[in-house]
Formats: sequence, structure tokens, C-alpha cells
Amino acid sequence: MSHAARRPSGLLLRSATLSYLSVMVVLPFLILTIQAFQPGLTAFWKALTNPFAWHALKLTFATALAMVVINAVTGTATAWVLVRYAIPGKAFVNALIDLPFAVPTVVTGLMLVVLYGPTSALGAILGQHGLRVIYETPGIVLALMFVTYPFVIRSVQPVLLEMDRAEEEAAATLGAGPFTTFRRVTLPILWPSILTGTALSFSRALGEFGSVVLVAGNRPLATKTAPMYIFGEVESGNLHGAMVVSTVLLASSLAILIVLNLLQRRRGGAS
Amino acid sequence: MVMSTLTLNTHDSARSTPDRPRISKWGPRLLTTAVLAWFALLILVPTIALTRQGLAGGLRPFMDSLTATDVRMSFVLTLVITALATVVNTVFGLAFAVVLVRQKFHGRALADGMVDLPFAVSPVIAGLMLIVLYGPRGWLGRWLESAGIRVVYAWPGMMLACLFVTLPFVVREVVPVLREFGVDQEEVAYTLGAGRWGTFWRVTLPSIRWGLAYGVTLTVARSLGEFGALLVVSGNIIGRTQTATLYIHDGVESFHPEGAYAASLLLAGISFIMLIVMETLRRRVAAREGADEQ
Amino acid sequence: MALGLALPILGPVCAPAGEPGSDMLTIGAYSVVREAFHDGVLPAFAEHWKQTTGRTVRFEESYNGSGAQARAIESGFDADVAILSLSADLEKLVKAGLVDSSWNNGPGRGMIARSLVVIGHRVGNPKAIRGWEDLARPEVGVLYPDPKTSGGARWNINAIYGAGLLHGDHSKGLGPGADAARDLLARIQANVVTMDASARHSMANFMRGTGDAIVTYENELLLQRALTGTDVPYVIPAATLLIENPAALVESSVDRHGNRAVAEAFLAYLRSEAGQRILYKYGFRPLDPALDVDAARRPLPSRIFTMDDLGGWNRINHDVYGDGGMWNSLFTQPALGK
Repeated sequence: MSHAARRPSGLLLRSATLSYLSVMVVLPFLILTIQAFQPGLTAFWKALTNPFAWHALKLTFATALAMVVINAVTGTATAWVLVRYAIPGKAFVNALIDLPFAVPTVVTGLMLVVLYGPTSALGAILGQHGLRVIYETPGIVLALMFVTYPFVIRSVQPVLLEMDRAEEEAAATLGAGPFTTFRRVTLPILWPSILTGTALSFSRALGEFGSVVLVAGNRPLATKTAPMYIFGEVESGNLHGAMVVSTVLLASSLAILIVLNLLQRRRGGAS
Repeated sequence: MVMSTLTLNTHDSARSTPDRPRISKWGPRLLTTAVLAWFALLILVPTIALTRQGLAGGLRPFMDSLTATDVRMSFVLTLVITALATVVNTVFGLAFAVVLVRQKFHGRALADGMVDLPFAVSPVIAGLMLIVLYGPRGWLGRWLESAGIRVVYAWPGMMLACLFVTLPFVVREVVPVLREFGVDQEEVAYTLGAGRWGTFWRVTLPSIRWGLAYGVTLTVARSLGEFGALLVVSGNIIGRTQTATLYIHDGVESFHPEGAYAASLLLAGISFIMLIVMETLRRRVAAREGADEQ
Repeated sequence: MALGLALPILGPVCAPAGEPGSDMLTIGAYSVVREAFHDGVLPAFAEHWKQTTGRTVRFEESYNGSGAQARAIESGFDADVAILSLSADLEKLVKAGLVDSSWNNGPGRGMIARSLVVIGHRVGNPKAIRGWEDLARPEVGVLYPDPKTSGGARWNINAIYGAGLLHGDHSKGLGPGADAARDLLARIQANVVTMDASARHSMANFMRGTGDAIVTYENELLLQRALTGTDVPYVIPAATLLIENPAALVESSVDRHGNRAVAEAFLAYLRSEAGQRILYKYGFRPLDPALDVDAARRPLPSRIFTMDDLGGWNRINHDVYGDGGMWNSLFTQPALGK
């Protein structure tokens, strides 16, 4: 234990903050997990493999994955354009990237329904071409893409900024085209930050509720995501079912966070 | 640790590499167009649509719908809860950052990781946790009930929900700045006779102020927008537990949604302006400090 | 200002001491009665209370889907009176020991209002909706809420179920029975666009232009004329369900708040002629048929049935909404009954 830790004031500070952390974070986690497993492993499995719970989990993971793939590409591209090119109104665009951090999720859902809902101009046009967005799965992916838009961008930007362009320039002088240079010189440097951004957005998407609940359609075995399923089960009195699905979602998000932390630590140690 | 790399370093990006070429080739032009189009479609257009919807009747009706009793009460509730949650989590955040950075003890890495836990939790799950723990039949709720304290469906439950979801922000933003800052100046202050508290107040705090300010801004923005957990624990009692976000959710699916649209605009606007102001201030101060150092 | 802020926020934490001459009543209600209560019954009752006792009464109101509201009261929301959509939701509160089991012993069996399950459609009826079987046609977009959270959804689904069970599905040549019920339910559910959290959410969504038809309470549709000035045309299917909405005292809350007198008076007022007239104005059908002055213009349908005809809520909650029930099987075994 360090000197600072042994001082009485240090001790007081540490015990106070650790107590706060325990009561606010650790205790709820523990209680939820304990109560989810209390009726037994069989009951847990039964609640998990219930077709409605299972489908909700599958849908959540599938839509999160779809969003993450799209975001990895568009996020990296956006960061690239913001850092490497001169565009009019760059400061404006750069500031607005953070908009999804500021907008409450319920407002996001509202915005998307107003804009792309079946009774809006855009939604009607899309509907005529057979593309139904709101109240169908694409609507879910759209909402997820909005709320996680800044994650990959803000993860890649600083790396691009600090990057030494010497290797890229060397590759260019050796005759490599822009795509090859990107693929073999830039991307290896960027991919950890891309991974961080996508992992964060994936974790966020697993639990997204406020924006999805207004756009998804809530149809069982079709457009009900895991958080919506949890909400429905809580409201209809099936607390155990809600807790089981919650535990699975939590475990997944936690696993992602832990892996991310480990990766960052290793990278930080290596450099 | 994860969040800070994501957030604080980002805003220097407007200053890009100096020898950038003007767009002359079709490749960059195409990419730029694609990126800007995507940005417009995903972010810009919905924002404009919401603004139009919110101000549809004009500025007067917008102001009127905001001053309706229900709306006013919901905003007051939101602001009070946000203010309290921010104060508590800022104090905790500062204290815990000091503990994590300046102290070495068994289990420090574990404690460090635990602060990130709220990021992994869906808001509805957070609400469920609160019901299970503090509801009248919950582990803690049982004792509180017998003491006459009602947590769920009353403001304590809502406070707990907001405290939970905003817990990590200040810690995460202050820790890296504090770590960078180092103990040297603090040691100097000690040797010059400043007490521990004096040192903290006059040496440490000013040096971490931008990390702190950013953490506080994120805390406020997150708390203003909290919805899922509140939906589960609040009961949506008009005037007592209906926050601005709950009012919006309620009002949007009502026959007079103008209030909901107006409230949405206001809420999003407040958060966004906060982020922008903070960012502008920070860049201006950094530029001035950079000039001073030269 | 700070004190005025603190009081409403800090007040409900501890059991409030009543201000002299003033009472407080906390109401936990389902979504659809919002206007009827907030604009109609509550002010009228406040007036009535002032005249009979000289005291003022303040209200705290919460309106959610009936299932969600019952859950809230059960897990700690200290409503003094529970105004829910269906007696099964109220029975949950009885089971939790919050409502006395004798709540439905009085005249009227604990109910405060009646309505019918009907189908609202667009002006001019472009899709020619006349009954349940029309909702099953392709290209008809249907709205009704989620039975997990909304009481109205259960009434709607029970109505469709009952129509098939008791009167068959003629478009498919199926006689009365479970097969017809299942077939009708399956084909209509396949046309549902979105399932909102409450009946009110569904109605607002329909009014914004989503869907071609909405299955909901008759009083919701009649309310539109009063609220928005627009008539929402609707059809009463020949075979449909009579809706009865209950209300009861929440014993634990009134004991805690010490306002039993005003709570009981409120429930009595709802069932009195004055209260019933107000509810009638907001589209409900009165408990006493004598008060139904519009009876000639909107007669009860020929093949109306009640929850008792279907075997009661317990039976339905088991057969339809239970774990192995018909509702779940619509999704897990869609091949059946097509």
C-alpha cells in the first residue's frame, strides 16, 4: 500500500468512495444475478430459451452487428475526411458529430418517426418502393446507427491526427496507389481504434432502448428487441424472465468492455 | 479509461494536418461527398425535421407550449434531479479519481474496472435493478419501507437511476488528466506550506479543470436525457415523477403532441449548446495558454 | 420558489401531514381515461367535495397502460384509488394484499363504466371495413397495443377471440370454436403494423395516419370528436365484447395517507349519476341503461358477449395469455390455422 493510501485522510477517502461504488454499482449487479439464478439453472435455461426471449436476443445481436459493420466503414471514412481533407464548414460538421451524445434517446426515436414514418413524405416515398423503415427491422438499425454515430469517428480521429505520414509518403513514392497505401500502411495503424469504436458502439447498441422503442414496432418474434422484451416482461409481472435476459445482455456487454480494457492496457504497455 | 480516449482528445480534430491538398482528384471528392451525404441523411436531416416540427406553429406557440403546467413541472423536476446527481457524482468522481491515481492498494484495478460497469447496462436493466433492490419487497427496500421511506415511484428512486447512469463520467475524464499532471507541483506546494486541502484546491483542481468540466458536461447531458430507467421506476406520476423525457414520451403519443415536440427541441438544444460552449471555451483557453508558453 | 419546489418533491417521501382544510388524492389510472378524469371528473369532484365538506382536494395523477399501472401499484406506487381497464389487473392487486377482496361486492360489481370493442377506420371507409373478418384481409394495416402492458389490448384480443369462438369465421367457413378463434386472431395479428405500449398510444398513432383500422374502446373513438373536432368513423362488429372497467380503493395507500374519506367519496362519485353523466360525455356507456340517452343511435350489437360468456378472466388468462396459450402460439406455430 502506498504512503498516500495509508494516511488517515487517504483511508477515509478510499473507504467512502469504495462504499459509494459498492452500493451504487456492485450491489445492484449482485442482487440481479443472484435473483436470476435463484429459481435454479433449469429455470434459468427455460426462461432463456423461451422462443420470445431467444428471438429478442437474436434480433438485438443481429441488428447491433449490422449497425457495427456499417459504422466501422462510415465512421472511418468520416474521420478520414475530417482529418485529411479541407471541406467547407468543417468546424460545423465536426461539432455536429457529437449531436447524438446530446440528444436524449426518446427524442431520437421521435425524430426518426417524424422523418421516416409511414405518414411522412420520405416514408411514403420509401413505402411505395417497398422499403418500409419504421416499425420494421431497418428502423431499428437506423436508430442504432444514429445513437452510435460518434463512437468510431471519435475513436479514429485522434489516431489519424497523430499519425506520422512518413510511411504513407514512402509508399506513395514507391508507386503504391491510394487504396493499397491505405490497406497496407494506414489500416494496420488504425484498426485498434476502429475496433475500440465498434466495440463501444456494439455494447451500447445491445442495451439501446429509448430510441428503438418508438421505431421498432414491438411485434413478438419479429421486431421486439431484448431491451423491449425486458420492459414488457417487467410490466407484465414476469420479473424472472426479465432478469434472465438482462443477465445475458449484461454478461455480453461486460465481456466486450473487459476485452477492450485488456487490449488497451496491452497496447499502452507496449508503446 | 476507455471513454476518455474517445471523448477528450477528439476536439482538436478541426485543426488538421497542415499540408493537406485541396481536393483535386475524383477519389477524395467522391469520398467526401459520400461522407457528407451520410452525415446529412443520418444526423442533419432528422435534426432539421425535429426543429421544424417543434417550431411548426411559430415561436409564440412554441413558448406557450413550454410554459404549460405539465411541461414546466417536468422540466423543473429534470433540472433539480440533474443538478443533484451532477453534484454528487462530481464529488465522487473527483474523490475517486484521486484515490485511483494517487493511491496504491489491493484491488485497485478491480475498482477501476467497476466504475465502467454502468456503461455496460441498458437503462431498462438499470431500472429493473432498482426495482429489485429498492422496491417495497426488495432487499434494501424492505428496510427502507419499515422506516417509512419510499424509494421507487418517488424522487429518491429517480435520483438513484440518474446517479447510476452518470457515475463513470467525471471519474473517467479526470483520471487521465490527473495522471498526466503528476505529483511534482503538488509536492512543491506542500513544501511551501500549503495544506492538503489548499493544495488540492489551488494547485490540483485548476490543472485538471478541463477534464473535470468535460466530465461534468457529459454527466449533465446524460442525466437530462435519461429515459429507460426512469420509465421503469418512476410510475410517470404527473407533477411528482414525470421528468421532461417521460413527458415527451407521454406527450408524443397523445392528441396534443406540440408540447412534446417543443420539449424535445428544448432538451436537445440545452445539451447540445452545453457541449458546444464547453468545446469553444476549451479551445480558446488552450490557444491562449499555448501562446503564453511561447 | 425553492420551498415550493422542495415541497412537492420531498413531500411524498414521508407520509404527508395534511394541510388543514385540504385533502390529497393520488390516482393510478389506465391510459384512456386521462381526459375524462383530468378535464371532467376531477374538477367536478373537487367542486362536489368542496360543497359537501368545505374542504379542497388536490390530485396527483398517473396514466399508463393498465397492466403497467397495476404493476406500478403492486411494486410500490402509492395510488389511493386504482382505476384500471380490466378486473383481472385489479385482482393482481388483491393478490398482493393491496386491495380488499370485497372490492366487487357492491352494486355494479366494482365497475365504473362500460364500453364496447370497436373498429375505427378512415373517413369514407376506403378499405370497406365492416367486421373482424375484414381486418384479416391482406393489405389492411391494423393497430392495437401490446397485451403485455396494455389492458385495452387484452379487451381487443379477447373480442376477436370471442367472435371466433362463439360465432365462427365465415370467410374461412369455420364454425364456432377454438379453430375459428385462432384463425381469426392469427390472420389479424399478421396485419398489425405496430404494437404500442398503451391504448392511448395506439390511438394517437392512428390519428397521425398509421394503419387503416384500429381496434380499441368505443369511448376512445368518441373522444376524438370532443378533443380534436374530427369525427373518427367506426363500426361496431355484430359480435363483439362488452367492456367493463373497474375501480377500487388501495387499502395500504389510504391507510398510509389517512385520506380514506375522500378516496371513498371519489369512488362513490364515479358511480353516482353526476359522475356517470360526465363519463357518458366522454364516450363511455353508463352502468345504468336508463342514462343512455343515445341508445337509439348506437344500439348494442346483436351478438354482444361478455367475459362471463368466455369463461371469465382467469380462464382466458390461462387459455389465451398463459405460457402455452393461444396468443403465444400465434407466433411460435404460425403454420397452424392458416
